[in-house]
Amino acid sequence: MVQYNFKKITVVPNGKDFIDIILSRTQRQTPTVVHKGYAISRLRQFYMRKVKYTQQNFHEKLSTIIEEFPRLDDIHPFYGDLLHVSYNKDHYKLALGQINTARNLISKIAKDYVRMLKYGDSLYRCKSLKVAALGRMCTVIKRIGPSLAYLEQIRQHMARLPSIDPNTRTILICGYPNVGKSSFINKITRADVEVQPYAFTTKSLFVGHTDYKYLRYQVIDTPGILDRPFEDRNIIEMCSITALAHLRAAVLFFLDISGSCGYSIAQQAALFHSIKSLFMNKPLIIVCNKIDLLPLDGISEEEKKLVAEMKAEAMKTVLGLEGEPSDDEGVLLTMSTLTEDGVIAVKNAACERLLNQRVELKMKSKKINDCLNRFHVAMPKPRDQKERPPCIPPAVLEARAKQAAEKEKRTLERDLENDNGGAGVYSASLKKHYILANDEWKEDIMPEILDGHNVYDFIDPDILLKLEELEQEEGLRQEEEDDDFEMDGKELTPEEQEALAEIRKKKSLLIQQHRIKKSTAESRSTVPRKFDKDRKFTSERMGRHLSSLGLDPTSAINRARSRSRGRKRERSSDRGDNDGDVMDMDVDQPNKKLRMRSRSLSMSRSRSRSRPPGEVVPGEGFKDSAQKVKALKIAKKSVKKRNKDARRGEADRVIPNLKPKHLFSGKRSSGKTDRR
Amino acid sequence: MPQGDYIELHRKRHGYRHDHFERKRKKEAREVHKRSAIAQKALGLKGKMFAKKRYAEKAQMKKTLAMHEESSSRRKVDDDVHEGAVPAYLLDRETTTRAKVLSNTIKQKRKEKAGKWEVPLPKVRPVAEDEMFRVLRSGKRKTKQWKRMITKATFVGPSFTRKPPKYERFIRPTGLRFTKAHVTHPELKCTFNLEIIGVKKNPNGQMYTSLGVMTRGTIIEVNVSELGLVTPAGKVVWGKYAQVTNNPENDGCINAVLLV
Repeated sequence: MVQYNFKKITVVPNGKDFIDIILSRTQRQTPTVVHKGYAISRLRQFYMRKVKYTQQNFHEKLSTIIEEFPRLDDIHPFYGDLLHVSYNKDHYKLALGQINTARNLISKIAKDYVRMLKYGDSLYRCKSLKVAALGRMCTVIKRIGPSLAYLEQIRQHMARLPSIDPNTRTILICGYPNVGKSSFINKITRADVEVQPYAFTTKSLFVGHTDYKYLRYQVIDTPGILDRPFEDRNIIEMCSITALAHLRAAVLFFLDISGSCGYSIAQQAALFHSIKSLFMNKPLIIVCNKIDLLPLDGISEEEKKLVAEMKAEAMKTVLGLEGEPSDDEGVLLTMSTLTEDGVIAVKNAACERLLNQRVELKMKSKKINDCLNRFHVAMPKPRDQKERPPCIPPAVLEARAKQAAEKEKRTLERDLENDNGGAGVYSASLKKHYILANDEWKEDIMPEILDGHNVYDFIDPDILLKLEELEQEEGLRQEEEDDDFEMDGKELTPEEQEALAEIRKKKSLLIQQHRIKKSTAESRSTVPRKFDKDRKFTSERMGRHLSSLGLDPTSAINRARSRSRGRKRERSSDRGDNDGDVMDMDVDQPNKKLRMRSRSLSMSRSRSRSRPPGEVVPGEGFKDSAQKVKALKIAKKSVKKRNKDARRGEADRVIPNLKPKHLFSGKRSSGKTDRR
Repeated sequence: MPQGDYIELHRKRHGYRHDHFERKRKKEAREVHKRSAIAQKALGLKGKMFAKKRYAEKAQMKKTLAMHEESSSRRKVDDDVHEGAVPAYLLDRETTTRAKVLSNTIKQKRKEKAGKWEVPLPKVRPVAEDEMFRVLRSGKRKTKQWKRMITKATFVGPSFTRKPPKYERFIRPTGLRFTKAHVTHPELKCTFNLEIIGVKKNPNGQMYTSLGVMTRGTIIEVNVSELGLVTPAGKVVWGKYAQVTNNPENDGCINAVLLV
């Protein structure tokens, strides 16, 4: 659904401001520094950008104006006519047309000058062209200054139009000036329209809202209309006529039967007949106002006849609408806004008739079938004459009665106060309704300060709860400990005790081993087992372990041995055999070469002999064994970390990269063979 | 009062707030200080614009003041001698003006003849050839330099047909071609956008005339049929000369003065 909200139209700046806005924008948002020495293409581009940017901004701004202002042909005819009445459609269209032309002109100018800038051959020339282009654009805007000012005024006025929804349920109040239209709308809505005892106090349409049967109704107060030819009516009256002509609403025609408004009933009837074509197909109610001054019965016969004529006319609208003559109530109503006599009746009648009419229209329309198909309202017929009132069980009734009685019975503090001598004499006890564990505590005196401390600082409402939790936890822990103790209780049989001791021993052993393992870096498990240096994992050990578990280890050992590839040849055993021969050879062949070899052999042999680690061997450079031990310790310590991390050390095998790829591939245009 | 004017409605019902007028007076009194603060603080373009606006305001103010003072201040009476007035000692002498009139008409005629080419811009800055033309290199290796492109505004007649581009010596770029000029009628003091018929004379040389180059001071022929000028004989004039008064290549348009 189209919402008619003209408040969102952006402000239209006047001609001068418009130019200032655009030019300062260009200045701020395009580069500003340029020098003679730049390449000519760069200069051209610099100035072309300025021209184009300015044009774009002009285009954008003008486009928003053109788009945001409503087109009078596209909006609801009510608004179209209202705007036409207030601002003159032709003028409005002309102004928007001028804006459109200006937009096109500016685009053309920009196009021309950008083309000319392509032939600019110096900074000066480019700059002059830019200045000329912007100047001409600004001139165009200056020329449409009056149109911009006009549009701004219209914008302000439109933003302040009351937001009338032309399609909703509407009640329209019309009549001669000063007949009490505004007083009526003030009575039934919160519109707060000004009421004065002279004609044309209301100069434009006013909107209020009222409720009837949980539905919202829009009430429109219109300026008074005079009975004169259509062409002579002024803008104020035309507002009313527009509303009457275009809104499908319930029309309340106000009639001042006392004539205190300055117009006789005859004049008002004439107006009614002259504008009755506007009431076609609308529920029409004739409201006789100001009956506090003169009741309806008090008017003369002729006037009564006039009123009757009008009533007949109004009845016609009812007939034409519903096709069957209905009762005449709700067509001619009397009221007095001063005494509020019949005001609500008028409102209700109007709302009711409008609602009926709208429902009927909807029923007639084609769309309703889609909805009606889905409806089924069941209306059960009475099958016999028996009364079947709702049945409520007596228990429920009793309970209800009891509840009600209880409710009544309860004495309030106030009652107590009244009984005991009224306010000031009776002082209510605030402690009476405390909910405490012990009722005796209620009247206890609670100190606020104790030992110089604020008691409230030390109060923890949950403290008992917390304490309980703590105690529970403690109890649980105690129980666990008890369980542990039970394990080596006295109830065990000697065998079981033995087994338990065994288990414990084993446990502690494992822990010890684990600790040793952890403390010595070499035995870290990250080092693969094949580097198991101290030969711990032997088949003997396995056999021992298995037998300790009470299993026969032989087959397992055999199997493991059959799988192993056998022991490597041990150096020491061979060497021991050869020892003597080598010595002999040393003696026998004083060949120099051999001697060299023999010495190396002998040295190797001597080294392989087991020797306490601290023993000083001449030639090693240590003063005494203490020094050597110390040195060894330091050396061991230095590699400890590295070994633990299983990182590469100086003793590891290294395969050097003898031919680095980067030195031996590719062309050798620059650099050298060994360093590139 | 329309429904939306809540401020006015409130004022109507309850009046202004108690210190409204005092606040307003104070605000107005502060205004000058505020403006001066802005004037001192504004830099660059904003400052320039502000200064210009302020200058215009002040000038206007001075004018108004002077106008008001005019009525009260005393001035010397206008001493301009009316035409035909004679000093007292010549009052009795009869004056004959006939001879004078004759010589005047002769002078007038001579002047008209001589002033046939007396133009609003009698002197113009000569334009050098390398300013007028840009050399274009041509040939496969871009070694040939006989082509020229005109860098000024030109007029190219509707019947112009190009030579084959290979042999075209002078190129008149389409972006700099003009067909219309803003021509001011010096006596009517108004400007018309008229079509150019041709270039009559370019002060820089015959070659430029034939090429149709329009620089400052060039005489062009414009179509004045829209103006509805009539010759003494009663014929409608449709072509008239005008002199270009601006640099079209810099301004992007041609401004000219009609020679009458």
